[in-house]
Amino acid sequence: MLLFQERFIYDAIIYIYALSILLYFADFLNRSRKVNRIAFWLLAIVWVLQTVFFVLSMVNKDYFPVLTLFETLFFYSWILVTLSLIINSFFRIDIFVFFTNLIGFAVLAVNFFSNQEAPPLISQPMTSDLLFLHISLAFFGYGAFSLSFIFSVMYIIQNRMLKKKVWNNFLKRLPGLGLLDLYSYRLNMIGVPLLLMSIILGVIWANLKVPTNFWLDPKVMMTFVVLIAYSLYLYQRVTNGWHGKKLALWNMGAFMLVLINYLISGSVSSFHQWLATH
Amino acid sequence: MHILAVGLNYKTAPVELREQFAFAGQDIPAALKTLQNTNSILECVILGTCNRTEIYAVVDQLHTGRHYIKEFLSKWFNVDRERFINHIYIKENDAAVRHLFRVGCGLDSMVLGETQILGQVKDAFESALGTGTTGTVFNTLFKQAITLAKRAQSETEINKNAVSTSYAAIELGKKVFGYFRDKTVLVLGAGKMSELTAKHLHANGASQVIVVNRTYERAVQLAKKFSGIAYPMQELSQALVQADIVISSTGAKDYVLTKDMVQEMMKKRRNRPLFLIDIAVPRDLDPAINELEGVYLYDIDDLEGIVEANLQERLKEAEKIEVMIDNEMIAFKKWLSTLGVVPIITALREKLLTHQEEMMRNILNKCPDLTEKEIRMINKQTKSMINQILHDPIVRVKEMAGQPRSEEALKLFIKMFALEDQLEEATPYQEEEEKSYIPIRRRRVTGQEVPVRS
Repeated sequence: MLLFQERFIYDAIIYIYALSILLYFADFLNRSRKVNRIAFWLLAIVWVLQTVFFVLSMVNKDYFPVLTLFETLFFYSWILVTLSLIINSFFRIDIFVFFTNLIGFAVLAVNFFSNQEAPPLISQPMTSDLLFLHISLAFFGYGAFSLSFIFSVMYIIQNRMLKKKVWNNFLKRLPGLGLLDLYSYRLNMIGVPLLLMSIILGVIWANLKVPTNFWLDPKVMMTFVVLIAYSLYLYQRVTNGWHGKKLALWNMGAFMLVLINYLISGSVSSFHQWLATH
Repeated sequence: MHILAVGLNYKTAPVELREQFAFAGQDIPAALKTLQNTNSILECVILGTCNRTEIYAVVDQLHTGRHYIKEFLSKWFNVDRERFINHIYIKENDAAVRHLFRVGCGLDSMVLGETQILGQVKDAFESALGTGTTGTVFNTLFKQAITLAKRAQSETEINKNAVSTSYAAIELGKKVFGYFRDKTVLVLGAGKMSELTAKHLHANGASQVIVVNRTYERAVQLAKKFSGIAYPMQELSQALVQADIVISSTGAKDYVLTKDMVQEMMKKRRNRPLFLIDIAVPRDLDPAINELEGVYLYDIDDLEGIVEANLQERLKEAEKIEVMIDNEMIAFKKWLSTLGVVPIITALREKLLTHQEEMMRNILNKCPDLTEKEIRMINKQTKSMINQILHDPIVRVKEMAGQPRSEEALKLFIKMFALEDQLEEATPYQEEEEKSYIPIRRRRVTGQEVPVRS
């Protein structure tokens, strides 16, 4: 059962998050430092509330809540907010914070309508510390890939504008192409090892708990495809000196694989089953 | 009391005339002193930049103030009145205050929203402050103008966008690379404009400058300025492999670089992004080069288009600042209107305190047995009574001073409390002795000058 207070906090998160994004949008249209500050602090409040919500449900459910669809998506949005707050404190790219949280908010809002009380489908004996570590590492990796994807989208848009010689306020607010390229590269450099570690832990866990031959499971195979796609990204950049548009497009394609992996292969997987039943 | 701004600037006077009216920095204190000793002038500040010479003054009467300032200008610069009289502008009171605010914010500058002027206004004020030619009015007004200008810079984006082609090139370069730290600039054809752009890029952190020119000697000369390298024309392709930014302005009739050449080059450069600026007319670089991936080509028209767009943006920001100025005007006028009331309040308080002191003496005479503690208490209580009685009248008279027909109200107030004597006793307005800001309360003003607002 979702407690009353959790429900209340979730509603508060949605409303404050929406307000924060609206203010970021207003700042984006008509630059104002005051509005920007308010939006930032609202986002910080969202992060605090999300953390409280997360801890509360952890206490209530008595496990690290990343097992149901609702829980994983909530965790994912928490990661996005966390990373965007961290990145924002290093370099001020408001437009990036805005895009990231647009995704974060969309995930939370869609999640609002999903079944929040669904019991975790992986039965009690199947769970272990390894599994929780496997899932959280995977999501941190996906978080890094998401941000990297956003930088690449910004790259493609800006590249197009510079080629077409469009000059406007939107363009002025984007960081330079070189930086966008660098940021998405760095994030993928973080994302790949996280995903790799997650896979290793998953394999160990599956060896212990899954009776069937898990290597042929579509979800597992798809995850390897994702890993290969991102590893190739790194390889092409480091070894073959790929730059700019080609690499950004590759990165966007790789992220599409992540999405497909998450949304589709979950439903045909034999043991990543939590997605299929909701 | 009135505020005057008299001056000439790039809009009203040709450069030959402005040259004659330029104050040398070291002469300004002497000029300020001379001006201060002129009839009718109570406070003064001199603002001199290459685009304007302006005198701000607090004067007791408008027409005499105008006259003496013009005379000062004529004498100091030794120019006949007739020669400059049609080129100067004279702003009075509100208009003068607004003018100062606009100048400080860069709205009156040749390059709209430039920020250098703020430093110049600050220097002008500090120089006058140091010479002792400012007083209550200008100490407040100039500080307000400086604070406003700082606020305009930080709260709007007036100075964020480049409004010259060479700066537009820098801005574009930042869009392409994000930073210039490890970038190499290639100057192709040693012209004035390419030199300027290279200079900006170098100042913004570009690490290396390569110059390629048809006459090798000139290339060497220019390269020296940036401690860069000069290549002869034959080695252009080698220079292109190293370069990240190319500024081209040769006098060639045909394209110096074609699409095929650059495409070949990009392979050797391992597809590192290349930013090309073509400021030559006729153009040096084939426009088709822009189609190549990772290559960004901008010609002079593109840069000018950016400058135009940025100027429009600055105009929009300037409107926001005008609103800020409106608000500051209201604040300043409010402050100014209460200025005349301060000596009256001081006089009234002093008068009542004299009564209180007298009363204390009477009490001491009549009751010699009072203890130290009792005396202190009586003194404190009677003073407190005076303050309580004074509280409402002071609040009200301040209000009245800010309203229309304040002069009559203040006169009535003086009459009711019979303050004429106190106000006349006060020593006259002595500006010369004041070296720094003195709180209004301590300032003595003669009776006639009391209703300051006029």
